Amino acid sequence: MKLAPVDYVILATYFAMVLGIGWMLRKKATTSGDFLTSGRSVPVWITSLAFIAANLGAQELIGMAASGAKYGIMTAHFYWIGAIPAMVFMGLFMMPFYYGSKARSVPEFLKMRFDEKTRGFNAFMFAVMTIFSSGISMYALGLLLQLVLGWNFTTSVLATAAIVLAYTYLGGLTSAIYNEVLQFFLIVAGFSPLAIMACARAGGWHGIVSRLPSNMTHSWTHIGHASENPMGVEIFGVVAGLGFVLSFGYWCTNFLVVQRAMAADSMSAARRTPLIGAIPKMFLPFVVILPGIAAVALAKIAGPGGAHLYELPMKLGASGLMVKDYDQVLTTLMAKFYPAGILGVGLTGLMASFMSGMAGNVTAFNTVFTYDIYQAYIRKGAPDQHYLKVGKMTTIIGVALSIGAAYLAGYYNNIMDILQFVFGVVNAPLFATFLLGMFWKRSTANGAFSGLVTGTFGAVLIWCFTVAEGKGGVFGNLYEFRSTMAQNFWIAIVAFTSCFLVTVVVSIFTQPRKESELEGLVYGLTKIRRDENAKWYERPVVLAVFVLVLAVILNIWFA
Amino acid sequence: MDLRVPSGWFFTLLGVILVGMGLISPDARAALTDVNVNLYSGIAMLIFGLFLLLMARLAASRSR
Repeated sequence: MKLAPVDYVILATYFAMVLGIGWMLRKKATTSGDFLTSGRSVPVWITSLAFIAANLGAQELIGMAASGAKYGIMTAHFYWIGAIPAMVFMGLFMMPFYYGSKARSVPEFLKMRFDEKTRGFNAFMFAVMTIFSSGISMYALGLLLQLVLGWNFTTSVLATAAIVLAYTYLGGLTSAIYNEVLQFFLIVAGFSPLAIMACARAGGWHGIVSRLPSNMTHSWTHIGHASENPMGVEIFGVVAGLGFVLSFGYWCTNFLVVQRAMAADSMSAARRTPLIGAIPKMFLPFVVILPGIAAVALAKIAGPGGAHLYELPMKLGASGLMVKDYDQVLTTLMAKFYPAGILGVGLTGLMASFMSGMAGNVTAFNTVFTYDIYQAYIRKGAPDQHYLKVGKMTTIIGVALSIGAAYLAGYYNNIMDILQFVFGVVNAPLFATFLLGMFWKRSTANGAFSGLVTGTFGAVLIWCFTVAEGKGGVFGNLYEFRSTMAQNFWIAIVAFTSCFLVTVVVSIFTQPRKESELEGLVYGLTKIRRDENAKWYERPVVLAVFVLVLAVILNIWFA
Repeated sequence: MDLRVPSGWFFTLLGVILVGMGLISPDARAALTDVNVNLYSGIAMLIFGLFLLLMARLAASRSR
């Protein structure tokens, strides 16, 4: 792919824009609370879009188009089942405790509800996870730019990291959130023309359906048994593993997204953040997955001269044979459909997605490090300006560590398999802890801690003893899954269940806390404000019903 | 700062650039399309940018 001068102009305008927003917001970051938690002052439409944009990293964008080409419309399960119900639950039932408790982070809530060791365990796991996921996504972007545009890996990684660092250092979380909204708009603007044109060229949805095998254009019909669909999963794994454990674990307890809602300017705004965010979220598959599905159909249409309109990109596989390189589907499609001009917008959208993902990780990392590790274990009771300085330094260190992780990812590909898996399950047991902590006043600190540890290490153990697509099975092979996806879903189910059971059993045998200490932290001991004064369309319940009805319609439509 | 102002200007500018491209070289095509992509997506971005600016203007005059 070759860029024209106009494409570079668009890219440069965007860079100037994000830096300018950071510059304009620099005066808003004068206390550690401003810098790390936005001082709870961000309007709801901004937190809602940032809520979904922080999750929409470059890997997500490239990966969803790739999965669209590999698995078809079933990929949409990651949105319609794997996100929407969890986002609704978060807004209706969990946000009152997060926002009402005045906790500054998810680990801090664990400290309030349970104890120091539970917070420490979670804070440490989370800090390591954010660094590695930002590093892996940096590596993926650098590799892609090198492959597609011939840009130097080191230069593009360092340059984009420097820009993210500049605007998060200047304006803190507010700057990251504001830029995430701009980035979200740009991703939609840059990729919806591609989705529309690729789909139209493949003969519309009907044209795609007529050219592809039925199990790529139906999301529920072929899910009865793992052998019937390209994902190699079956309905229980999808609903319980992805739809319940993984998605609720991610959207309800991952501080990366929860932090966006916690930055909202009122309780009502915080509750509406995931609910409003769910509306654009459920239509994103049409922008990010559809091009991948259309690509497969285009590869079956004969063009003038006998060749197909499009060929799926190939690469040299580990076995020495050529295999399909799905990660390049998005960029090769762009080259086929975009002339200079809109190509620049598309590329800028890709860069924007990378930046929003990375800034999300960095801002979550510096908050957890400053409040839950530094203030808790290294230096307590210092003046606020000290923590502001620490937060700013941690931002620099976080970016530097991510760059290091990006290079590590390049050198040791096997480590990545393990880490990818850890990210997949680290939140799974945590959701059991939160569920019991928020809705069962009898659950105790020792119960939560032992459950969390059992769930986390139980998951690692199962991964070491099962195999899927040649991954896992470090200590032996007791069971073989049909796909890594099925393996992840099932490990998440086991991690959640074991954490849940151990927490319940240990709680019963340990001393509960006094009820008076749990006010504002547990359901039944907390007064949840009714929104009688709110206009009907501002009420969380009304919004939630609307969102769920839309999600059901989409699921049925593409069943 | 009202985020609608900078992002409104940004999309207006993008729209102007793309519409300009679409008018100056209407035959610029990638391999698989026969529509003037730059022109149409440029118009869409221009409208979106102006819409954000209008919303920001309305909000500012209401709070005054």
